[in-house]
Amino acid sequence: MADRTYDDVTQLPVDDTEDIDRTEVRSYWQLARRRFVRHRLAVIGAITLAVLIIAAAVVPLVVENATGVDINKSFAAAEIVDEEGNLVLALLGYSRTGINMFTQLMAATATSLMIGFAAVLIIVFIGVVIGAVAGYAGGWVDNLLMRVVDIALSMPGLFIIIAFVAFWGASIWTIILAIGITGWTTAARLVRAEFLSLREADYVQAARALGASPRRIILRHMLPPALAPIIVAASLGVADSVVLEAALSFLGFGIGAEQASLGTLLNVAFEYLNREPYLVLFPSIVLILIVLAANFLGDGMRDALDPRQRVEQQ
Amino acid sequence: MTTVSRSVGPLLEIQGLKTHFFTQDGTVRAVDGVSFQIGHAKTLGVVGESGCGKSITSLSVMRLIERPGKIVEGSIKLNGEDLLDKSDEEMRDIRGDQVSMIFQEPMTSLNPVFTCGEQISEAVQQHTAASRREGMDRAVEMLSLVGIPDAKRRAREYPHQLSGGMRQRVMIAMALSTDPDLLIADEPTTALDVTIQAQILELMRDLREKNRMAIMLITHDLGVVAEMVDEVVVMYAGKVVERGDVRTIFGNPHHPYTQGLLHSIPRLDERVDRLEVIKGTVPSPYNLPTGCLFKRRCPFRMPICDVAPPMRQIGEEHTSRCWLTPAGEAPEVGADPTPEEAEAAGEQLTVEPR
Amino acid sequence: MLTYIIRRIILAIPILLGVAIISFLLVYLAPGDPLAQFRVPNVRPEVLDRLAEIYGFNKPLPEQFIGWITNYVQVWNPDAWGLSITYRRPVLELIAERTPATLLLMGTSLALTVVIAVPLGMLAAVKQYSWADKIVTTFATIGYAMPSFVLGTFLLYIGAIWFRVFPFGGMTSSLRVESNPLDIAWHLALPVASLAIQSIAGWSRYIRASMLEVLHQDYIRTAKAKGLSANRVNFRHALRNALIPVVTLFGLSLPALIAGAVITETIFSWPGLGSFGVTAIGQRDYPVIMAFVLLGGIAVVIGNLVADILYGVVDPRIKY
Repeated sequence: MADRTYDDVTQLPVDDTEDIDRTEVRSYWQLARRRFVRHRLAVIGAITLAVLIIAAAVVPLVVENATGVDINKSFAAAEIVDEEGNLVLALLGYSRTGINMFTQLMAATATSLMIGFAAVLIIVFIGVVIGAVAGYAGGWVDNLLMRVVDIALSMPGLFIIIAFVAFWGASIWTIILAIGITGWTTAARLVRAEFLSLREADYVQAARALGASPRRIILRHMLPPALAPIIVAASLGVADSVVLEAALSFLGFGIGAEQASLGTLLNVAFEYLNREPYLVLFPSIVLILIVLAANFLGDGMRDALDPRQRVEQQ
Repeated sequence: MTTVSRSVGPLLEIQGLKTHFFTQDGTVRAVDGVSFQIGHAKTLGVVGESGCGKSITSLSVMRLIERPGKIVEGSIKLNGEDLLDKSDEEMRDIRGDQVSMIFQEPMTSLNPVFTCGEQISEAVQQHTAASRREGMDRAVEMLSLVGIPDAKRRAREYPHQLSGGMRQRVMIAMALSTDPDLLIADEPTTALDVTIQAQILELMRDLREKNRMAIMLITHDLGVVAEMVDEVVVMYAGKVVERGDVRTIFGNPHHPYTQGLLHSIPRLDERVDRLEVIKGTVPSPYNLPTGCLFKRRCPFRMPICDVAPPMRQIGEEHTSRCWLTPAGEAPEVGADPTPEEAEAAGEQLTVEPR
Repeated sequence: MLTYIIRRIILAIPILLGVAIISFLLVYLAPGDPLAQFRVPNVRPEVLDRLAEIYGFNKPLPEQFIGWITNYVQVWNPDAWGLSITYRRPVLELIAERTPATLLLMGTSLALTVVIAVPLGMLAAVKQYSWADKIVTTFATIGYAMPSFVLGTFLLYIGAIWFRVFPFGGMTSSLRVESNPLDIAWHLALPVASLAIQSIAGWSRYIRASMLEVLHQDYIRTAKAKGLSANRVNFRHALRNALIPVVTLFGLSLPALIAGAVITETIFSWPGLGSFGVTAIGQRDYPVIMAFVLLGGIAVVIGNLVADILYGVVDPRIKY
């Protein structure tokens, strides 16, 4: 064998630095971002969602009386500024009763998204706590909690939400609570599965052997790697929650016209389906856009953060 | 069952085969200009680390390369006819009939929802005029031939009811049920226990004699090679780096990579303190070195290695892709030789004619 | 197999008990007085006390629950599930009356789903990246993203208002022609389309994914190496395996369809269980509401059982 010296780490001849393997080594997050950006639909989804959120937040603020009725404006054409020079942003014109359809739509979108995101916060919180406890403790605790999940999964969800909201009075808060306390099962199962496998991971065993407290093990060593499926579930959860709230309001059990959501608009539109069918169109489109965007975003994030998990979400 | 008359030439002759994969990250030259041949009833071992292109070569012969992979160049002649010119339909008649293949993973290579007998019978029915009944009879016959006890009952069982070794026997029975001229065995024993490995190899040797068929044995296990094959092809990063009969390769390896492979297996007749390993790792397929592909890991590295070495004759029936002289010495060339200078420097070396 | 089914049913009892407790709490913890409708000036206080005693409202909660649940399991007794407050008739009877309409709606849309979604999903998988795949995938994505009430409203507008081809809702044109199958089919078209389009979208996505996964399995390569034709590989070797997860979907979609029925039946005034349940909430018809929740739980248990049994039928690796 020729007499050469080798680098200890790379095991390459030390005088060969000019042609070492220069394949870029990328970090997890770099790779994740690359995979996400390559997922064209996910990027479109993220942009759509961002535009909707900004429009929903800003439009009702900059336009005075965004959801008001002005019968003089019945069927008036689209305008951005009215005769008096006020900013009205009536991009979609006015309805028969003189409602500025665009600003009303954005105000409703704001309500829907607010409920969707707030419900997801509850869903993720309950799901993470129950899933983490079950997965970390294992044994009978896990068994018991999983039976609770089974029970929750066996309930007719939408029906329970309707009943709960009907009994306790329809408000944004009862709706958020109702969606939150019925929707956490998927998140709990994901976190539990992740924790069950992480529990046996060598580095967790090592942390335990070094005397780390359960709190530290859970928060520092087990929760971060479990984040990927939680983020994905949360983005899909936003779409689900928005749709659930819309269904509730559509059926007439949601919040009334005073703080209309997309579902409320559809409920009203359904009543006038015969005379004013156009009312159905825009709330429907926004609703579909939210669902599509959140799903694309979720798919993209799943591919980006967790390429192992290719299971098609139902 | 083969209708083609046996020509005088080799059974399988691969020339300049290039199979590339066009991925998002770039082109992977998984097989890049591979040439070798297999004679009738001969056994050829294809050896190399995982990722060297040996499995892709075998799938190319079966024309089972799927997107994003593609055979871009070369010829694969079976009994003198180029398989790359065949239509899909003609190719189907060849697959499983003239050329059969068994795979590395017996646990997943059988369809879980059909019985073993059905799966063997299906191959027989596909290539002969056999009825379902005759196909099943043939399946039972083949199962007992490969040493499965109580073959009649086993034929009615599903793959999950059999052990790994048994399943590999079923795969062999299926592959041989049509009396192929060539059996391609892709790491047939890698996934099995050592004792079962020996049994399966024994079975393959036995059936090779009985059926007078050729075998292309793909493996990274040099022990298996020593036991089974007549000729060896060593592959590295998509290219053949050395070729010769089994005695030459084991007794007098020329390419430093082959030497490294041989040094890394433990031997009973020598006492060593430490097994030698090949330094470094296989180069990334997206970033292959220029010149000799092995140079980054080669202990004999010379300036000339920046020029890609051709496959050259270094003995009778022995070729190697390395600039070293047949005696294993560095050729006399300057610090920055051109290919012509490199060629001239390799005294009395003859570049392989094809 | 029979012992397996019995074991599964026994295992389901605690879950159903849990569902019962939650449905009980949902109603009993709700603010408001269950006797509110009787608190009118001409009802004497003694009568109210009597009523409270009869219904057991003055007993502690656990005792009330035990009384309620022991009644509940006596399904052979028509009064077991109580009387509807709105209809003053046994809940069991009312549910039995409305079940056939729901089963008809569900069954038709499920059958349609299987017949259409399996070939679509397969086509998309086998011809991955082709135009056919893109069309199926786009349809599936949009259909999946479209909430059932949006889809139902669109269909109602197009079918009943724009083209005036289909009726506005209900199950029959008049109460007297109740058993005319053609008339029922005419009324069935829109609600079935509304449910089926959604589930076809979901199923074809699922079947495509399942098929794609199977097509990458080693045994598919083995089948090709045998020299089988593409059709034989796809239809015989791949489809059989790809359908294994799909049969579970079949069982699991049973409760999902009932949930879908809540909205679809309401939109099309279909006289089934879903619209009945929603109306009951609006009327605070507590016995009906509790029955509906429990029925949902039973549907899930049956759906899971059906899924597991079918699983054993199609997958030889599963034995009970």
